[in-house]
Amino acid sequence: MGEPIDISYVLEYLIKLLPTLRITLLIVVSSIVIGLGVGFIVALPQLYKIPILRRFSQIYLSFFRGTPILIQLFLFYYGLPEVLKLVHMDVSRVPALYFVILTYALHSGAYLAEMIRAAVGAVDRGQVEAAYAVGMTGFQAFTRIVLPQAIAISIPVFANLVIANLKDTSLAFSLGIMELTGKSQTLAVMSRHFVETYISLALIYFVISFGLEQLFHLLERRMQRHNRRAATEKKEQSSKKLRYRWLSAGIGFSRGGRENEA
Amino acid sequence: MKLDFGFIWTAFVQLLTAVPTALAITAVSVFCGLLIGTAVAVIRLYKIPVLYPIATSYVTFIRGTPMLTHLLLIYFGLPIIVDSLAEALGLSFRSVSIPMIGFAYISFSITAGAYMSEVVRSGLLAVNQGQIEAAYSIGMTTTQATRRIVLPQAFAASLPNLSNMVIGMLHGTTLAFTVSVVDINAKAQIVATTNWKFFEAYLAAAIIFWGLTIIIERLTALAEKRFNLYNRGGVS
Repeated sequence: MGEPIDISYVLEYLIKLLPTLRITLLIVVSSIVIGLGVGFIVALPQLYKIPILRRFSQIYLSFFRGTPILIQLFLFYYGLPEVLKLVHMDVSRVPALYFVILTYALHSGAYLAEMIRAAVGAVDRGQVEAAYAVGMTGFQAFTRIVLPQAIAISIPVFANLVIANLKDTSLAFSLGIMELTGKSQTLAVMSRHFVETYISLALIYFVISFGLEQLFHLLERRMQRHNRRAATEKKEQSSKKLRYRWLSAGIGFSRGGRENEA
Repeated sequence: MKLDFGFIWTAFVQLLTAVPTALAITAVSVFCGLLIGTAVAVIRLYKIPVLYPIATSYVTFIRGTPMLTHLLLIYFGLPIIVDSLAEALGLSFRSVSIPMIGFAYISFSITAGAYMSEVVRSGLLAVNQGQIEAAYSIGMTTTQATRRIVLPQAFAASLPNLSNMVIGMLHGTTLAFTVSVVDINAKAQIVATTNWKFFEAYLAAAIIFWGLTIIIERLTALAEKRFNLYNRGGVS
């Protein structure tokens, strides 16, 4: 199967793959931006417990979290034109990329909605009451008090979702999108250097997700300033370390309770 | 739009034949992933010298790259390793005799192992340290304390993560079509192309996955109730 392995090709393919990174990032960024809007709309009925709409958003969440993204991609790619034909809209000439972005947006929208719901729920109820007490309206209390805190809380989850979305975009090749994975497949088939191509592909994904993680880590520390954590965080860290030490000492295979007794 | 409801049913019935394959891949990858994950988590918790950096980089690398790349790397890379090893050792075994589904098993197990190690680690860390101290104080050995006190509580604490993991792997089986395994997705493609009814076929596939996911969620909820019995709190 293929040519003998020559590691020197990895760098060459890395450079050849890099231009398609643009498409991958385009899908990630646009689907996350749209997904945030979708997630917000879906989360609102749940947050404010609006009777019938709440049921709809539950079904939405259940469907998008209960089916694989690959199936959703095909479903929207083949199904949406059919559905839109009902309202006399012809989308048969729309490039597949838009379908892909839409599907990823709806998919991440479901997870983002859960994130928003959890984050808003995590803000202390007393904060809202205090905002009302100083005479803020409901809207003001939400945008000025709840939202900034909720955003700070949700950054770690958001980071995970963005990275998951990045990794999921590797499936867009199945609809013929020439993003990283799609390009690597054509490269591999043409050159018959399969392993080298996929190593460089994995390297690119790894570097980007690693970079994103670090970036969000910085952002999180910046956002959490309002909590004046400095002192407590240190304490937390040291207690965590203690816990590790206890774990390694306490249930270590070599040093158990019996030996301590003796 | 002419949605052929009859065909959705036909496709549904045909797709059901692929469900065992998907469930088998899920079961194998979750089980092997649990074994790998436990080993990796133990290595990382106890900071075992040489193995620690290996385990950490394994988890970081796998979690930083898509599942699809693992599958492709294993599918194209493993035969080369196996063949050269077999040649060096003078064995008659060749990579062609590995069935296609074997690649899916191996690759998904490796993927699941990295994610599972985090599940196991968080589960172990969730057990209150006073519990172990109490176990020691009544004279339990380390093995006893681990088996009777730590593991049941760690398992209960990690059940939600575990169920997410199972659902994730179930959804991940749709990738197996890239190595020509006929899973639900590949079956849907076959049914769709032979009848030229794509929407209906994928709708049936989506319904199957949705149903399976809901079943897994229900079962987890039941299990959680059962395993968290000890955790009632309060009196009586």
